Amino acid sequence: MRKIDRAHADAYFRVRTTMIAIYLFIGLSVSFGVAFFARELSHFTVMGVPFHYYMGSQGAIVTFIILLFVNAKVSDVIDEKFGISPKQLEKSKQEDRAVNQ
Amino acid sequence: MDAQFLVSLSLIGATFALYIGIAMYNKAKATDDFYVAGRGVPPVYNGMAIGADWMSAASFIGLAGTVMILGYDGLAYIMGWTGGYLLLTFLLAPQLRKYGRYTVPEFIGDRYKSNTARLLAAVATIIISFTYSIGQLSGSGVVIGRLLEVNTIIGTLIGVVLIAFYSALGGMKGITWTQVAQYIVLIIAYLIPVIFMSLQLTQNPLPWMSYGSVMSEMSALDRELGVSEYLVPFTEGSKWQFYALMFTLMCGTAGLPHVIVRFYTVATMKAARWSGAWALLFIGLLYLSAPAYAAFSRFILMTQVAGSSLDNLPAWTSAWVDTGRLSVADGNGDGVLQWSELVISNDIVVMATPEIANLGIFVIGLMAAGAMAAALSTAGGLMIAISASLSHDIYYRTINPNASEKKRLAVGRWSIVIATVVAGLVALNPPGAITQIVAWAFALASGTFFPALLLGVWWKRANGPGAVAGILVGLFVTLGYIFASKFGGFTILGIIDTGAGVFGATSAILANVVVSLMTKPPSQKIQEEVTDLRYPEQIEYKDGEVWLKDAK
Repeated sequence: MRKIDRAHADAYFRVRTTMIAIYLFIGLSVSFGVAFFARELSHFTVMGVPFHYYMGSQGAIVTFIILLFVNAKVSDVIDEKFGISPKQLEKSKQEDRAVNQ
Repeated sequence: MDAQFLVSLSLIGATFALYIGIAMYNKAKATDDFYVAGRGVPPVYNGMAIGADWMSAASFIGLAGTVMILGYDGLAYIMGWTGGYLLLTFLLAPQLRKYGRYTVPEFIGDRYKSNTARLLAAVATIIISFTYSIGQLSGSGVVIGRLLEVNTIIGTLIGVVLIAFYSALGGMKGITWTQVAQYIVLIIAYLIPVIFMSLQLTQNPLPWMSYGSVMSEMSALDRELGVSEYLVPFTEGSKWQFYALMFTLMCGTAGLPHVIVRFYTVATMKAARWSGAWALLFIGLLYLSAPAYAAFSRFILMTQVAGSSLDNLPAWTSAWVDTGRLSVADGNGDGVLQWSELVISNDIVVMATPEIANLGIFVIGLMAAGAMAAALSTAGGLMIAISASLSHDIYYRTINPNASEKKRLAVGRWSIVIATVVAGLVALNPPGAITQIVAWAFALASGTFFPALLLGVWWKRANGPGAVAGILVGLFVTLGYIFASKFGGFTILGIIDTGAGVFGATSAILANVVVSLMTKPPSQKIQEEVTDLRYPEQIEYKDGEVWLKDAK
């Protein structure tokens, strides 16, 4: 066990929470946001489908999927940046061992 | 029809043998295996298992039809059910995984340090999962019955015996790997017909890219006929109903115990995030295809069925007219079937597609196997949720905390068998109320589980009395609104019973916050446990200090 600076841990939590707030905002805009302006947005089309219907049947779902993968990947990167990914812990332990020997 | 019978039978038989084989190979040996599959399921496979767990017989058979009949308004289901995975993966699943319990009621009970809350949650899990599973079992009975041409009762019984056998044997571990196989069967069965239909109608093998052209032709037809246009929003209900329904489905999805428990089967928070991403990708394959099915079927019905004379309808229509799922009464007696004279059941869209597109007996058999896979996988997941609540939350955590591992496993196995048999018996002759309760399951989950879980994870000040008050108020308001709008004609902003979750969730959160603030804060230890959920497993929060654990 190694103690971590509280500020470091708080910074980690803040970054993760901010990212999640951004993802949720995007996710809710493409679903609730587009539905709110459904009538106004029906005048232009994507692949032959009016925009509001396209977003409901494909656009929103594809956005959700992308957001989830971005979240998974970015969270891994954040873990690594803060030095707490499982891989780095393994490495620092090996270094400790090397020093001890 | 004999060749069809043999092909369907052998395809269904082959998939059943596969599921049983997988369950035997993955027999549960310890409670850890039985409840959470030993917590070692890789994220991609867990994604497939979540997909199969989530997509029920109703999604497989009925979703495309719902979208076809409701037009734009039906898309609230598509966005709501997929959007739920955002809430689940961003706000709940990784944290619940770190808390590291076996069931959702156990999290609620331990986090809020309240046996009342645990029991309330366990009973709610059992009620929601039980009614939901009756729909699955009677659905599988209909599929086996129609495609093997045996009585629906025998069809249901076959499903019951199969599920009871393999889920009791394999527990969560067996169910996980059968669900992976079931996902593959069901998605292949769903995609092949729609791809062929796309080829036939548009010469493009990708239905997701091609149905736009069909839709523009359809809009022209709608205008010609003067019927309510397919693409026009909010023809079936108010905009607020669309919003409320979407909200209810999202929060309900994020609160359904049999889905959440699948996130307990992976090793880490990181794996929980990746599971959520893979799960929505796999689920999305079906949800993105449903509107294509809907557009193609509506197009064919409008161009090939409507407008033809009654004695000259396409051959495939007669079988469906016989089952009562398609009605072609010639209302004005002119010998020609008008579009407005067609009455179509939700189920017909997917199940009739192989016949409409003339895809032959193999695809029809595959469709049957796919629908069975969807019904069985969801029923299996529900049975394990019921069994875990009975044997773990109620028996082990409340009645007999000293039970041995062996005893707990036996109780778990027997509760699955009993729950399946009871659900099967009810499914033989399902009361009409069942379909209603299934439709309300999302409203109930979003009014009870979702607020308790959300505040439990994100607000350390939430305490036991707050949770109990929240669950009870949420339940009361949701049920109250459902009954008032369904039977009393009382609605707010045109929101009907299916959107009741928006009121349930809001009032449950308010009640939880108000009562929590009025009563004593939770103990220091629990508050620290909640703060601890902010960080990955490698970090532990203790006595106001943050510690990095060494790798093992």
